[in-house]
Amino acid sequence: MASEAEDKRITLAEAAEKVANGAHLFWGGFGFQRPPSAFAAELIRQGKRNLTLYTCGSETDIDMLAGAGVASRFELAYCALEVVGLSPNIQRRIREGALEIEDYSNLAMATRFLGGALGLPFMPIKSMLGTDLLTKKRFRDKKAEVMECPFTGERVVLVPSVRPDFSIIHVQRADPEGNAQIDGIRGEDIEGSRAGKKVVLLAEEIVDTEFIRSTPDQTSIPGIYVDHVVECPWGSHPMAVYKYYDYDLDHVRLYRETCKTEEGWRSYLEEYILGVGDHEGYLSKLGTSRLLRLRARRPFGY
Amino acid sequence: MTGQQKGRPYSPIELMAICGARAIKDGETVFAGTGLPMLSAALAQRTHAPRSKIIYEGGFIDTRNRDLAVSVADSRLHYRAAAAIGLIETLGMLLQGGRVDVGFLGAAQIDKYGNINTTYIGDFSQPKVRLPGAGGGNDIATSAKRVVVIMTHHKRKFVKDLDYVTSPGHLKGADTRREAGIRGGGPSLVVTDLCQMDFAESSKEMRLMTVHSGISVQEVIEETPLELIIPGEVTTTPEPTPQELRTLRELDPTGLYLGKASE
Repeated sequence: MASEAEDKRITLAEAAEKVANGAHLFWGGFGFQRPPSAFAAELIRQGKRNLTLYTCGSETDIDMLAGAGVASRFELAYCALEVVGLSPNIQRRIREGALEIEDYSNLAMATRFLGGALGLPFMPIKSMLGTDLLTKKRFRDKKAEVMECPFTGERVVLVPSVRPDFSIIHVQRADPEGNAQIDGIRGEDIEGSRAGKKVVLLAEEIVDTEFIRSTPDQTSIPGIYVDHVVECPWGSHPMAVYKYYDYDLDHVRLYRETCKTEEGWRSYLEEYILGVGDHEGYLSKLGTSRLLRLRARRPFGY
Repeated sequence: MTGQQKGRPYSPIELMAICGARAIKDGETVFAGTGLPMLSAALAQRTHAPRSKIIYEGGFIDTRNRDLAVSVADSRLHYRAAAAIGLIETLGMLLQGGRVDVGFLGAAQIDKYGNINTTYIGDFSQPKVRLPGAGGGNDIATSAKRVVVIMTHHKRKFVKDLDYVTSPGHLKGADTRREAGIRGGGPSLVVTDLCQMDFAESSKEMRLMTVHSGISVQEVIEETPLELIIPGEVTTTPEPTPQELRTLRELDPTGLYLGKASE
């Protein structure tokens, strides 16, 4: 029975190097929960260009990618900071013409990932009928099509499936082979992790495979889908990872206030992304006491 | 409209949250979002609708959180929820599957048929402001059996033509929504800091329903630059009860949402 499991671990920098300029990425996490923030910062440090991101919704992380000129196209449903306000860099880059957004609904995006995961070219949904989401488009030749169901005659909207070059997903735990456990809500990460041609998994914690294999019903992403695994503690800061740490709302607010101007964004970029050198440098910059204050408490998980 | 109005032991924002709660019937499945809808849903559950179930799009089903959430993906929503799954579950199987009774939405712009813009202000080719986008709002507006809109009342938000139609209301009125193939019932109530509005049965045009205490019909007309239907008799919104106010303030003790007067 004993067999050699592949060790898929690489460093954060090595993982980002795999992403070529112009690549298309599924971007995991949902809103304040488990975004790949550290991966976004590393893409910025490596000076990537012209990426297209697919996600239901993400917040400070994709705003940084827009600010740094790493991402030039998004296909998504939501890009703001919820209670904190609108996305500051995204505002500017759209006005400058440096960023284009193809808008869908959340269900449309999640269903597009499901279609990609299932190996189907498109999927039907009921959303978007009667609205500009159906008719107004930025860069896609075909964004969505209305058809009558051949069986019932009911009107549905067809949306194109997504098969991006990479799926980037931050999770709580994985073993070295990439068998991953997600605690709490999965957002669209079940579908998104199966949609990418390659999958990069970032994990708060690397556990022994014995841990995963003693509770296989807890595995959300089996390693069979996963190409690379990166150990990346605190990798979603300033957002939350359920059962590991809470969001850092002060930092999200600082981000929003600082980045309202181009000069402010430049200073944030230098202070928190480029100047710190790498993810460890970022954590050192935040400091142990700040991070410990964010640590989740049982039984709440935040 | 900001802060507490003179002589009244509650603020317009508190009254909005309470009107939202009253729109929920006991036993209903409610699709909520952050902000006032979150407070409305929780308030209903703790007052007249203890058997209502609250859904959040990130994957939370039947929530009972003890701490206020700032995000629809907030870890706080896990605590004592019945389930934490994902978007295909909540927006797909529950909502599109026809199992959600009432959904809550906000709006940057709304027209007289309850169509909503949350995507761009300005011309689509050269927008002035990028708003959050559809999120799950379009999905809720499409598939919930009915929709309650909660928004502050400003002239610039009630428009003849939306800059962008993000979420479907009654489209062009009458039967146009059903003819477009949309299943859910569409908006049934708009709650603002001045009044409550519903939609006329056959034309589906927005109609003044109640004005809040201290607000005149004329004030509402002046702040609503669309052809709002004004019935012959307009009643005053029932005052918040002490229990509603006390429970609401317990839900947001720091005033995260209630302390904010606009947006």
